[in-house]
Amino acid sequence: MTRDPNRDVSRRKFLAGGLAGVTALSGCVQNTRRDAWGGGSGDDGGGGDGLSGQVIVKGSSTVFPISDTMAEEFMEDHGNVNVTVDPTGSGGGFENWFCAGDSDLNGSSRPITDAEVDQCATNDVEPIEFQVAGDALTAAVNNDAEWVECMSFEELRQIWSDNDVTRWSDVREDWPDRKLELYGPASTSGTFDWFNEHVVGEEIEHTTDYQPTEEDETIVRGIRDNEGGMGYFGYAYYSSNSEAVKAIDIKVEVDEECTPPTLPNAKDGSYPMARPLFLYVAESALQREEVYEYVRYYLEQAETDVVQDIGYVPSSAEQRDENLAKLEEVAG
Amino acid sequence: MATTEPDADWHGDDSSISQLRGRAFEATCLAATAFGLVSVLLLLLFVANDAFRPLSADSGWLLTYAVTVVVPLAALAVYYYRLDEPAGEVAYVTSGLPVVGVLLTGGFAVMFIELLSILEWFALVTSLVAAGGLIVAHGRLRPNAALERLVVLFGAPIVTVLGTPPAQFNWLVTDLAAALGVDFGLYHRVISLREVLLRLPYVPTNWLLLLGTLVAPLAVAGGVFVARRCDSRRAGFAVVGATLVGALVGLVTGPALGIGYGGWMLLVAFVALPVGVYVEGVVRRREGVRGLAFPVTAVLGVAVGSVVVDAAGLAGPDSWIDWGFLTSATSRTAADAGIYPAMVGSIMMIIVIVLATFPVGVGAAIYLEEYAPSEGPMGKFVTLVEINIGNLAGVPSVVYGLLGLALFIRIVQWPQGSIVVAGLAVGLLILPIVIISAQEAIRSVPDSFRQASYGMGATRWQTIRQVVLPEALPGILTGTILALGRAIGETAPLLMIGAAASVRLAPNGFFDVAGMMPRQIYSWSSELEPAFRHGVLAAGVITLLAVLLVMNATAIVIRNRYQRE
Repeated sequence: MTRDPNRDVSRRKFLAGGLAGVTALSGCVQNTRRDAWGGGSGDDGGGGDGLSGQVIVKGSSTVFPISDTMAEEFMEDHGNVNVTVDPTGSGGGFENWFCAGDSDLNGSSRPITDAEVDQCATNDVEPIEFQVAGDALTAAVNNDAEWVECMSFEELRQIWSDNDVTRWSDVREDWPDRKLELYGPASTSGTFDWFNEHVVGEEIEHTTDYQPTEEDETIVRGIRDNEGGMGYFGYAYYSSNSEAVKAIDIKVEVDEECTPPTLPNAKDGSYPMARPLFLYVAESALQREEVYEYVRYYLEQAETDVVQDIGYVPSSAEQRDENLAKLEEVAG
Repeated sequence: MATTEPDADWHGDDSSISQLRGRAFEATCLAATAFGLVSVLLLLLFVANDAFRPLSADSGWLLTYAVTVVVPLAALAVYYYRLDEPAGEVAYVTSGLPVVGVLLTGGFAVMFIELLSILEWFALVTSLVAAGGLIVAHGRLRPNAALERLVVLFGAPIVTVLGTPPAQFNWLVTDLAAALGVDFGLYHRVISLREVLLRLPYVPTNWLLLLGTLVAPLAVAGGVFVARRCDSRRAGFAVVGATLVGALVGLVTGPALGIGYGGWMLLVAFVALPVGVYVEGVVRRREGVRGLAFPVTAVLGVAVGSVVVDAAGLAGPDSWIDWGFLTSATSRTAADAGIYPAMVGSIMMIIVIVLATFPVGVGAAIYLEEYAPSEGPMGKFVTLVEINIGNLAGVPSVVYGLLGLALFIRIVQWPQGSIVVAGLAVGLLILPIVIISAQEAIRSVPDSFRQASYGMGATRWQTIRQVVLPEALPGILTGTILALGRAIGETAPLLMIGAAASVRLAPNGFFDVAGMMPRQIYSWSSELEPAFRHGVLAAGVITLLAVLLVMNATAIVIRNRYQRE
């Protein structure tokens, strides 16, 4: 089904008739005149060039800090483009916003699924994938949990799958007989999906006996306040809370070497829970100049220290060039 | 009937009656009151401390301002309270008026910067005045044509402001025709006076428009007020002249001060004019003149204090709330974060809520109280409806958010997270509260008033309009304002309708996507950096509370005004 933009607009305007007074006020108010106001009172003074419009970014709360930083810096140069960023979770963003055609970009901490591609297709949304950064998914425990330094995938699987392991001592016998208090991302989150697929295993059910949330801050707080607490989240949330919780080293097999979660380890791939972060753009949205410019800025900056400062692995120079080439090709 | 001896039933002097239970009950009530108030106060102090961080200032800084500002003002306050009450009132008004004036100036400045250009304002005001003039003129010329007047009452604003037929009506017809597969459109319409003005090839410059449509009317109002009070036309003209000259000076001084001539003119109109008129009255009546010392002391104290602080190089508090916080957008760095776009969004949302819920809510309340049948099967039905309105008032806000999502976004297809959707969703939430409180207010008008009105031959409509509504209005306003206070702080519906976490541009219209204060505060609460969760968050909460207090104060003033008349 195709949408006729003119019709859509007129319909909106007609519905506004109910609020005739309001529309009379709002009128057509695109150009505001700042000469009378000293130019200093606006939030968005300065930096405004010809570019204007709106870019709606939804998706992963893991990618949110990157997108939001890019939005802020982009708007310093393009003061009239309204880039709004909202953490909805990767899956939540795809399902409720991006594939419904209601957002232009979707951050994701996992690749898009086939079901989501199908959903997008029914609404004529064609997602274009860009890998923008890398993350070291971090498992953390309470600072006082001195019994654990390193875990294997098997142990993580025991803790986080849907079984009768409820106490630390159920996993390893020399661990204390203390209840496991689990905090993790909600099932709308890409972090959840990644962990479920790569660590717990797709055929095994992720436990439902944990505190799910879309706010990674809540996970950190939960672990900090419970001695038996454990949770997992993006590395950026650990790096800004490294005193509050203790990150544990990870190994795939029991007899392997333990690797701590750090950005260098994630970059060279030695950390087992390193994962790529993606930005999805609707092809049709790229035809709009403001979206194109924002994405181009995003992909260029994704290679710089900006990303590192937030707590993620920046994309490599080749990755960036590849992304930009892809962007040019799609945008035509 | 036998009269009993009075002293036989009187136990007051009998010490065998225990008063313990009564005393204990009183003490419990007191404890409950104290516990509630003290905990709220402590919480507010805690948040305010986080937001302002007064202890981060040099102790010398605090001491300087304590000596130059706090101590003299406290001494004056005690003096007024003990010895000179009229001066106390003068002090109160002369320090309050500028604050209200500055807030109004800020409000209008934001409106002109974000919503309307000065030309659009001029066109709107002129058209509304023209419509008002038409209605009044019709009333004068044909005082008895009631039906005609009804037509004029609604028709005049349509002709002058919206155009005939209104553009929205044209869209409706064209849309309907298109839906039926007919290519029929009402492409021609008579444009309104407002649109004509907007299309004029030559319009006066902005400063002249601002002077004519905002400063001059207020100056004339002030002039008429003074002329009546002094019984002297000359005094009135002097006020008008002084205001206009003062405003024109702004063409030079405004840009020099960095507030533009617009900012200067608004300050003249909203601060200088009312304060001047009030002070003139005080000086001429020679009553409470000493009260004028209060604002003068405050200004002098701040000036002296800042000179001393500058000279001694003392650092002030590193407050989270400052000018930058109020005028900039949110940021990834806590120190740069601000709340301006969210504040504009919230205020515009409140405008939508008021326009949508006040007429509907009060209309429903009037019908239910004054017209709806109270007996028979229909009466039972009305009772059922009223009970359910009560139930609706208790429905959680998330549910209203979902309703807004389904109704305004999925069905009507308005943009997600836009102001109009937010306003209507939250408006639905407070509608039952508005209806119930308006009903209470109307019910509290004694029936004897209505009977007396009917007794004098008034119709039901006349009774409601002339007797019931004026009497009930203060109560209706109070209820509505309390409901609005709840509305501005609602977060859950905003999350449901997809208000975004970070929006850096203030909205320019009611269909724009916007940030709103509670949503912004919520997103700060989940930021990585602790500085956001402690400092910026607290500053946001204080700003939200301040906006709430300003709203409530305005409403209380309006209410008191109606009550007096």
